[in-house]
Amino acid sequence: MRLFARYGGDKPSKSDKKKKGTSNYAYAVTRVRAMKSKLLPRETYPRLLNMSIDEITRFIQESEYKNDVDELAMKYSGGDLAEHALNMNLALTYRKLLRITAGEPNYLVTAYLKRYDVWNVKTLLRGKLYNASVEEILESLVSGGELTYTLLSELAAMATYQEIIEALKESEYYPLLQEFDGTNLAYIENELDKMYYSGLFNAIGKPRSKDRKLFARFIKLEVDVKNLGTLFRLKKAGVEQLDEIMPLMIEGGLELKIEKLASLPFEQFVEDLRKTQYWDAISGVVGPDMDSLTAVESRLTRYYLESATTYSHVSPISIVPIMDYIIHKSNEANNLRIIFRGKEAGLDDTLIKDQLVVI
Amino acid sequence: MAQDVKPTRSELIQLKKKIKLSESGHKLLKMKRDGLILEFFKILNEARNVRTELDAAYEKGVGKINLACAVNGVVSVRSTAFTAKQSPEIQLSGHNIMGVVVPKISSTGVRKPLYERGYGIIGTNSYIDETAEAYEDLVEKIITAAELETTMKRLLNEIEKTKRRVNALEFKVIPELISIMKYIRFTLEEMERENTFRLKRIKARAK
Repeated sequence: MRLFARYGGDKPSKSDKKKKGTSNYAYAVTRVRAMKSKLLPRETYPRLLNMSIDEITRFIQESEYKNDVDELAMKYSGGDLAEHALNMNLALTYRKLLRITAGEPNYLVTAYLKRYDVWNVKTLLRGKLYNASVEEILESLVSGGELTYTLLSELAAMATYQEIIEALKESEYYPLLQEFDGTNLAYIENELDKMYYSGLFNAIGKPRSKDRKLFARFIKLEVDVKNLGTLFRLKKAGVEQLDEIMPLMIEGGLELKIEKLASLPFEQFVEDLRKTQYWDAISGVVGPDMDSLTAVESRLTRYYLESATTYSHVSPISIVPIMDYIIHKSNEANNLRIIFRGKEAGLDDTLIKDQLVVI
Repeated sequence: MAQDVKPTRSELIQLKKKIKLSESGHKLLKMKRDGLILEFFKILNEARNVRTELDAAYEKGVGKINLACAVNGVVSVRSTAFTAKQSPEIQLSGHNIMGVVVPKISSTGVRKPLYERGYGIIGTNSYIDETAEAYEDLVEKIITAAELETTMKRLLNEIEKTKRRVNALEFKVIPELISIMKYIRFTLEEMERENTFRLKRIKARAK
């Protein structure tokens, strides 16, 4: 069964798309601006924080997420309903973005949204390997990338992970997935993530124009933040060997000298970070006796999102406003989920507020 | 009961032996009961501490998973959790506390280093790590608590049993034996007196 051929077979290859020159930046950016105007304004979040769960549910039901909530209300309730509605809306929005863009912006957005494909492939493998039910797997999929929900459902219904890998024969993940033997899931997951970023860098190519440079900078910043988070986690877990750390690092970061940082003991590692742009964001929570890294990661994420959107007004007819919208949309869904789930679980308001990124 | 007993000297000797044995048994069982109670209180304090730690670990685990679900989404946490379905191995052996066999539970594979948990490092974050860590800690505490609480339960059962035996000996068996002994002694004395009286009567008639 070559399911993958159905979605990839009749499409032009990536290089074809690039060459065609049918980019519709003006149209896509206009649509995206209209979509962005529907996002929740910044001042909504403090208001939501003061609401009860019922009020937030009502708010979500009356917002842009109404259709998604209505569609899923038969199946889910409470926090699950809100979360699945947010995910569904996100997936539909990204699918819409893929529909309204053509040529180069479509190529770049597709490359960026492949993170959802990677996520779904990982979930399918995890689920099949550990005998999760089809229902459980389906609930954990977010079809925001190229792989459609129908295709993912068919993959999830397959009996074994070997069948899933075979069904993905036409995909770019197949050579890597062939290495999966049922015991090296963590390795495959890490390699899939690294493959995603190298694919994204390949899609961006050597940036010459201002907007491409900004897009590349944004991805490089994300890579730095990811690598920094991983370094903190590994150092905290006592992993010191360079040959154990380096395979977990993503290449192509903006500023960090990964090899040097990886080789340093924790104190020197922190000392070295003082020279980077990330220090101001994390200085308040990094110390020798820190027992949790969540504050570091949340501040790094905030820094990355804030920095990424700083230059959104530059190059108004380019990939930059589209990426800016994707970031804002995903952040809105994240923020709503944090508030809803946080309130539902009875988390402290200050803790919920700390996790929010209002950009 | 006294009626069933033959009031003979040999019976009296047997009875004396029985009473001696019961008294020494009673003394030993009392010592065992006291020893078990001491042991129980020692474990009780330990179990109380472990229970407090268990409650704290549970609260911490729930807090961490709630935070992880809020930040990453339940979907993401659930997907990552698929990788952690390998159950830890529990080994059960027993050891002896004053004749009571109590379990000794040891476990392997509960606490795993970051890179052996089964999920990819790059695609996850420290919210997931800390949730996994908190739940590993919780499982460890559950195992310790299970060991201590089972020990406590078995000790309590044994204390109850020993207490019943001590009480039975102290308030039933020994008093009954003593009363039988008294009855035999009284009967024997009575028989002796009758004998003496009979002999005197025969002697008087003969004169």
